[in-house]
Amino acid sequence: MAQPLVKKDDDRDDEADYSPFLGIEKGAVLQEARVFNDPQLDPRRCSQVITKLLYLLNQGETFTKIEATEVFFAVTKLFQSRDIGLRRMVYLMIKELSPSADEVIIVTSSLMKDMTSKTDMYRANAIRVLCRITEGTLLTQIERYLKQAIVDKNPVVASAALVSGIHLLQTNPEIVKRWSNEVQEAVQSRAALVQFHALALLHQIRQNDRLAVSKLVTSLTKGTVRSPLAQSLLIRYTSQVIRESATNIQTGDRPFYDFLEGCLRHKAEMVIFEAARAITELSGVTTRELTPAITVLQLFLSSSKPVLRFAAVRTLNKVAMTHPMAVTNCNIDMESLISDQNRSIATLAITTLLKTGNESSVDRLMKQITNFMSDIADEFKIVVVEAIRSLCLKFPLKYRSLMNFLSNILREEGGFEYKKAIIDSIVILIRDIPEAKESGLLHLCEFIEDCEFTYLSTQILHFLGIEGPKTSDPSKYIRYIYNRVHLENATVRASAVSTLAKFGAMVDSLKPRIFVLLRRCLFDSDDEVRDRATLYLNTLGGDGSVVETDKDVKEFLFGSLDLPLVNLETSLKNYEPSEEPFDISSVPREVKTQPLAEKKGPSKKPTGLAAPPTAPVSTVDAYEKLLSSIPEFADFGKLFKSSAPVELTEAETEYSVNVVKHIFDGHVVFQYNCTNTIPEQLLEHVTVVVDASEAEEFSQVISKPLKSLPYDTPGQIFVAFEKPEGVLSVGKFSNMLRFTVKEVDPTTGEAEDDGVEDEYQLEDLEVVAADYMLKVGVSNFRNAWESMGADCERVDEYGLGPRESLAEAVSAVVNLLGLQPCEGTEVVPSNSRSHTCLLSGVYIGNVKVLVRISFGIDGPKEVAMKLAVRSEDETVSDAIHEIVASG
Amino acid sequence: MLLALLISNSVGNILVERYHGVPAEERLHWRSFLVKLGADNLRGAKNEELLVASHKSVYIVYTVLGDVSVYVVGKDEYDELALAEVIFVITSTIKDVCGKPPTERLFLDKYGRICLCLDEIVWTGILENTDKDRIKRLIRLKPPTEFS
Repeated sequence: MAQPLVKKDDDRDDEADYSPFLGIEKGAVLQEARVFNDPQLDPRRCSQVITKLLYLLNQGETFTKIEATEVFFAVTKLFQSRDIGLRRMVYLMIKELSPSADEVIIVTSSLMKDMTSKTDMYRANAIRVLCRITEGTLLTQIERYLKQAIVDKNPVVASAALVSGIHLLQTNPEIVKRWSNEVQEAVQSRAALVQFHALALLHQIRQNDRLAVSKLVTSLTKGTVRSPLAQSLLIRYTSQVIRESATNIQTGDRPFYDFLEGCLRHKAEMVIFEAARAITELSGVTTRELTPAITVLQLFLSSSKPVLRFAAVRTLNKVAMTHPMAVTNCNIDMESLISDQNRSIATLAITTLLKTGNESSVDRLMKQITNFMSDIADEFKIVVVEAIRSLCLKFPLKYRSLMNFLSNILREEGGFEYKKAIIDSIVILIRDIPEAKESGLLHLCEFIEDCEFTYLSTQILHFLGIEGPKTSDPSKYIRYIYNRVHLENATVRASAVSTLAKFGAMVDSLKPRIFVLLRRCLFDSDDEVRDRATLYLNTLGGDGSVVETDKDVKEFLFGSLDLPLVNLETSLKNYEPSEEPFDISSVPREVKTQPLAEKKGPSKKPTGLAAPPTAPVSTVDAYEKLLSSIPEFADFGKLFKSSAPVELTEAETEYSVNVVKHIFDGHVVFQYNCTNTIPEQLLEHVTVVVDASEAEEFSQVISKPLKSLPYDTPGQIFVAFEKPEGVLSVGKFSNMLRFTVKEVDPTTGEAEDDGVEDEYQLEDLEVVAADYMLKVGVSNFRNAWESMGADCERVDEYGLGPRESLAEAVSAVVNLLGLQPCEGTEVVPSNSRSHTCLLSGVYIGNVKVLVRISFGIDGPKEVAMKLAVRSEDETVSDAIHEIVASG
Repeated sequence: MLLALLISNSVGNILVERYHGVPAEERLHWRSFLVKLGADNLRGAKNEELLVASHKSVYIVYTVLGDVSVYVVGKDEYDELALAEVIFVITSTIKDVCGKPPTERLFLDKYGRICLCLDEIVWTGILENTDKDRIKRLIRLKPPTEFS
């Protein structure tokens, strides 16, 4: 609360030192509010009490329902007073109290009276209060007055009605939309603010009517707009119209560009900025169009006002992402902003420079940034680190100074997120720039010598285990790794043991010494560390003899666990201890696709150490259990894949049926999930009659009907087909539900004895190529692609004909193949003319498949693609091409 | 939308706090964030010198005036430039009401009038009036000069 701030002279009155609200207390103020009920109102006293109430409310104090109601009723009494100052306070107080619906009625008559008063200012305020507290029904009563008020001569009254309209549009759109004629008239008002408010409201009313917005913009850009605020709005609406209307291809003219360009010379800074931003955001903007906007923004970079500098550098930062060359002219001005007092401005300047800088300026820039890094917060530092990472990938020759910079900041203080950003960057640089590998690894080694974050230590140890043995002198890393076994917690120690083992497996000359170190770990206090040491000593043949590590062991140590961890976890939980050991090959490999909403994280950038995304709990196990419980399917072998349920009925029909396709090597089982939604019916002997005449390679072998299907109790019907083993057979099946209906007495729930036979047509069902494909992702596509080799590679080109957009073509092909998109390549950036999509999966018969597709689109939306397939079997590579060729 | 308007004294105690479209559970977070922002950056700032920050898609413009600090937070159309306009109206009106950059005592003495002015400037998240002379008349329920 308020306290005396400055020591005042002693001879002054003591009271002057203290806040007028010192010791203010809610209970006492509520008592004081009783003066509102006095027959002889004292306006001054009442105003003081209201001020105290406002103070309490503004401090976050809340009134109970009873207190609020009491105060509200008391305040309404004040309408009797003729004092103008008090009346203004009363209006504010009622809004602050926001009375409940049943209380509003007390005050509406007074406010309605004020709303039709001859005093303009009563009208304006009454409108504001009424619109704040009313509900829909009352609104229709006062609508007539509001419409009049919008075109009132007094600008305050008109603005009050228009702003009320903006608020009411959220709650009662159908009423406000009826005012558009009046609002249209108000847009022509000579009062600047009325025009501003009217324009905002009119646009909101018409926002879904493209033609109307376009007309509005056309007329206003030719007429006069009286306030910078309204002009800024107009620019925004104009760029919306530009976005929605295509450029005139023949002349290359862009509608309204001249208007925007003219606004760059407006006297209000707000308008200039708005126009400059609108120009920079035009889609496919040319350098000629961009130049005038960049020029005015450059002038603002050296403005004395921080807000203008911020606005300018923020806009230029955005431009630098798409048109870095256009911004280079501003680099000198931008460099002086690195020392700007305001850290937001400095960070934006640096990240812009990092995007636009050329190779020769890198060293100078890094020097400037080093000074700057020490006094900004972690969140800004992370932005800078990410910018440096991309700069280094752009200029790999400059890796030395950039890597040095990263290692220096790594040694300084910082939180987890910041350190992780640096580590990720170093890891990416090591992966992408071979020359940077050795120095980068040493920086990481030094970092783990004094790292407080277990997560980062273990990640680095894992990375060292993969990259360290491939360097020219692997032995120099051992000391750093083995130190961990002495100095760190159990988690890090266990990681260090695994890393040591990897060195032992890869570098034969180091093996004896590694064995010595691993043997010491056998006496660790933690059992995981001991277990790992024992395991590795055994697999590597730790009897001291120098033998070459065989392929299986390497595969065990280095091979990635190409199973979704969640699936492994579920399988392990389902495993019951018995004579039979757990078989890892029984773990399903299917990655359940995540809902799209989750995938579209706004800032999901690939990071160096990030683990592959975890899959949600799969339903595959449940299916497997269900099918294995049916003896007829026992000799079908292992379940390869189960599809997502396909609906065979419309929503809300009498019987709801969906089907799951279970694919085995030589069989396909359809599982029909049926639900009876009619309480008055019992279905018996329910079967699905499947016509496979359009699926030549399939022949029906088993049908398992359902004995009875009572109301709202789902049941399953199975139909199994035989098909040629390991072959991608496709076809179309038509389905008919056949059953006996029995009437059920709703009161007793008993069914009648006699039933009637009936049929119910279901939708057709297709088995497509994608059903034979498992979505299995790989964590590093490039590595997987290279290690697969080009032996069974098949490449061909295809024209896809005219398509709506590149994204649509990509998603069609991805869906057709039914493979797992990798590294986020299923998302096509807007406006791109070409795109590469990486897919991986497992083809029936457990054959790994990798696919790389390059798409391109030309003017009339013709899409062509180059499809490269690698797999372990050339017939499979051919099969993938066949799917595309026939799809 | 103008999300928040906050006025605090020099040690970070809240004098006026108004939110629009900010869920109640986030308000405390915003309050401490803004006060910390002011404590970090407003020391030594000149009267009415505007400082600016952005946090995700939200913009913050803040300044110091006498003993009080003023913060406005906005998003979408209320970007840093629009907020600068809003804060300019607020500071010039406070100066007008108090006669000078206020001490905390002076600000509290004029508290009722300042609340009325703020009510004229920002109404549930929308900028309504921008001219201090006009606002001065409006809070006395007098029509604007260009009209009377």
